Amino acid sequence: MRRTHRLAAAAAALALTTLVAACAVGGGGTIGGGSAVKGQKMKGGTVTIAEVGASPNDIFPMLPATNSNGYNGVLTLGLWPPLVYSGDGAKSAPNPQENLYSSLKYSDGDKVITIDLKPWKWSDGEPITSRDFTFVYNLLKANYNDWFDYVAGLFPVDVAKVSTPNAHTVVLDLTRSYNPTFYTDNVLATIPLLPQHAWDKTSASGKVGNYDETKAGAKAVWNFLQGQGTKMGTFATNPLWQVVDGPWKLAAFQSSGYYAWVPNKSYSGPDKPVLNKVIWTPFTTDTSEMDTLRSGTSLDLAQVPLNDVRQIPALKSEGYSVAQVPAPGVAEILPNFYAPVAGMLLRQLYIRQAMEYLINRKQIVQKAFAGYADPGNGPVPTIYGQQWDSPLEKAGGPYQYSPAKAIALLKAHGWKVVPGGTDTCTKPGTAADECGAGITAGEPLTFQLLFASGTESFDEQNAAVQSSESLGGIKITLKSEPFNTLVSTTGTCNAQSHPASICNDWQIQQYGYNEYLMDPSGAGQFNTDANGNYGGYSSPEMDKLINATEYGSSNAAFFAYEDYAAKQLPLLWLPNESTVFVYKSNLAGVTPLNPFSGLYNPEVWYYTKPAS
Amino acid sequence: MTWFLVRRIGQSVAVIIGVMILTFILVHLEPGSTARAVLGLKATPAKVAIFDNTYGLNRPLPVQFWLYCVHVLHGNFGISYVAGQPVSTLIAQRLPRDAVLLGLSTLLALIIGIPMGLYQAIHHGTVRDDVIAGTWFTLYSAPDFMEALLLIAVFSVHFHLLQPNFPGGITSVGGLFSDPNALILPVIVLAINSVAGYSQYMRSSAIEELAQEYIRTARAKGLGERLIIIRHLLRNALLPIITILGLSLPDIVAGAVIAEAIFNFPGMGLLFWQSALAHDFPVMLGATLIIGVATVVGNLAADIAYGVLDPRIRHAV
Repeated sequence: MRRTHRLAAAAAALALTTLVAACAVGGGGTIGGGSAVKGQKMKGGTVTIAEVGASPNDIFPMLPATNSNGYNGVLTLGLWPPLVYSGDGAKSAPNPQENLYSSLKYSDGDKVITIDLKPWKWSDGEPITSRDFTFVYNLLKANYNDWFDYVAGLFPVDVAKVSTPNAHTVVLDLTRSYNPTFYTDNVLATIPLLPQHAWDKTSASGKVGNYDETKAGAKAVWNFLQGQGTKMGTFATNPLWQVVDGPWKLAAFQSSGYYAWVPNKSYSGPDKPVLNKVIWTPFTTDTSEMDTLRSGTSLDLAQVPLNDVRQIPALKSEGYSVAQVPAPGVAEILPNFYAPVAGMLLRQLYIRQAMEYLINRKQIVQKAFAGYADPGNGPVPTIYGQQWDSPLEKAGGPYQYSPAKAIALLKAHGWKVVPGGTDTCTKPGTAADECGAGITAGEPLTFQLLFASGTESFDEQNAAVQSSESLGGIKITLKSEPFNTLVSTTGTCNAQSHPASICNDWQIQQYGYNEYLMDPSGAGQFNTDANGNYGGYSSPEMDKLINATEYGSSNAAFFAYEDYAAKQLPLLWLPNESTVFVYKSNLAGVTPLNPFSGLYNPEVWYYTKPAS
Repeated sequence: MTWFLVRRIGQSVAVIIGVMILTFILVHLEPGSTARAVLGLKATPAKVAIFDNTYGLNRPLPVQFWLYCVHVLHGNFGISYVAGQPVSTLIAQRLPRDAVLLGLSTLLALIIGIPMGLYQAIHHGTVRDDVIAGTWFTLYSAPDFMEALLLIAVFSVHFHLLQPNFPGGITSVGGLFSDPNALILPVIVLAINSVAGYSQYMRSSAIEELAQEYIRTARAKGLGERLIIIRHLLRNALLPIITILGLSLPDIVAGAVIAEAIFNFPGMGLLFWQSALAHDFPVMLGATLIIGVATVVGNLAADIAYGVLDPRIRHAV
């Protein structure tokens, strides 16, 4: 996948599903807005956060290629934040308070980046310097194939040279020009700084050196740190992991997934923690978490499964407030353009358009997601705001629910439409009023929708899709499988992989959503042969427009790409469900939750006591 | 008896080897790419290759089986693809806690079920017998998740008397007892389903024994009814319960997935369930092997206990 994979964001994604809907819940509390807690600010206190299914198992902040556990990103984010901190509150922008740089300038046609680091310090008092950046660079350059977040062609292989004119300045000479927003938001935001003065060693008892400066040394350091990073019993005690530059230090860790942060008293940033401790407590299931919430025990912040949103009024009476956070991504029905027979149908834009016209997204948002979802008007969710959300998408997208338009399209292309039944092709051929290439006379318009089982809202959504598609005579049969089975049995299908047996067994599928980083670029998802382009969509025009967003410098390029993608339907757009949270009403600063960096920034949280 | 033991142990070893072979073949028959199942949709071919190489999944199946055997002989059962920890560590964290939880619930079920079955046998055919049997069978046939949720709704949510689940930080057996309040509901829920079984086995067995000549002889000799029940009837009627207890050992080892899910108790049941969903083969194989061993050991223990308690069996062997 061309797009970077940010584990902290992925962790947020694990828990939820997607999108925004600024609506009121049950008793009428507003959602997603700023924290409206009133009262006197208190110092200290402990916040206990419930995490369902959380099981972090690696503390080294750059995970090996074999570790996809997104909860590790949540564990380490507060300890070693990235150079570019994703999300300024709920905005898709770097956080100026938490960024480790004071300025980041692009020059020489956007091929050179000059990064000035803030004069901050590590928790042991040593300054954060440009050497810490080169340490990271050297480690990754020697080991990028074993780095989970590595995206083919991007950092560090796209760096021709790194120079450090002084202790606080880093200059990156890139091998090509990039769009500065793309590179800052989606590449530099995945790179933490690491304490070279403490971690540049090859054994626990060895001395710190400059081992990273040779390839062999960098591999040895990498292997040592990776090894230490998996020793769960020593996460909270290993001296390595006590040297941090984030606002928090790890005070306790248990293999069950329970862990606790305490303030890093030497944190240099402006948002110094007010709380004494943040505890992350694991739950095996949503049910056990909800039971705990309802019994009025000590949870201060927890996710509410969409199936349980009816319990929100009861939780409010227990002293909780409600917030929702959209997942930064796009939900879809994925067409397999290389499926036998079905692929021929799906290659016809008018068929995809008819299918999209027949998806009643507004109804799905209300009925399947209880109002907590992004409408799914196109490739960019509304959370990304004005900078990214084009007028077309804001207006509802190009294909708003209209069975009449779907039927008209199909009839205009030679189909006998049978609402409630199955349409058949009556005019095979490639002329404008015929069914299209590869579609034979009598071909039925039918697809099997494969989807991930175990999520009630998905069941409801797909049943709704099946029902509404039938209004245009498009017959959908549903088949569900556990998510991991679905993932393991359906591979990427494109011109290179075809014909492959793994591509023959699915026609269209729905598994959740594809996540974005701060820049909701289509790179990696819709360009030809991209790793995340699982269905094999290919369009030279789309490739050109995506390249303009990734490598060009025009701000207008993004809307051009976005609108083209919205209309061309490389995927069938679906609503994307949001996550709903409850938090103790006397806890301030929680909202807006940050969907781009693991949701939580407890360094800005504090308790209040009622004004007397 | 010695030859009996040697033969039974030999059979047990053969069964365990068979379990290893069969489960290994079965999990590898599962379709799809393990690496993709674990790494997710974004797994690039390069990452899949690294994953397969790291865990030996690119090697021939017989070699993989041999490596599995080596891991078993070393006692670590391999490394979990998902947790990144030795399977033995994951099992060692969960098994003792399950043993305590399920052991306590079994004990409670025995404490209630045996006297109850005895009482029913003595009052066999009366309204009291029918009422007790009907009550327990009603509870037995109710799904345990429903019982659990009902008890939580009443005692935790409504009255705030009992904790609905275990605190997330518990990682040891000792931790279970640091908050005994949290143990009450899961132990009760797990016991409810066992009481009916134990009491009805006890009832049937005791009714059968009550018809035996030695009971009539004891009564004819003028022994008191209480003495007859405790000294003669109970000991003989308990024999089927011993068998059931032995056979329930694998249940204790396998955990109780529904109770674990509802009561936030990360035990063997959830470990096995989650590993099956995630295609975490080493954990599936390790857990299955442990359950297989427990089944064999439970059977063996039941046979031996039977022999010890019943001289007729001992002498027959």
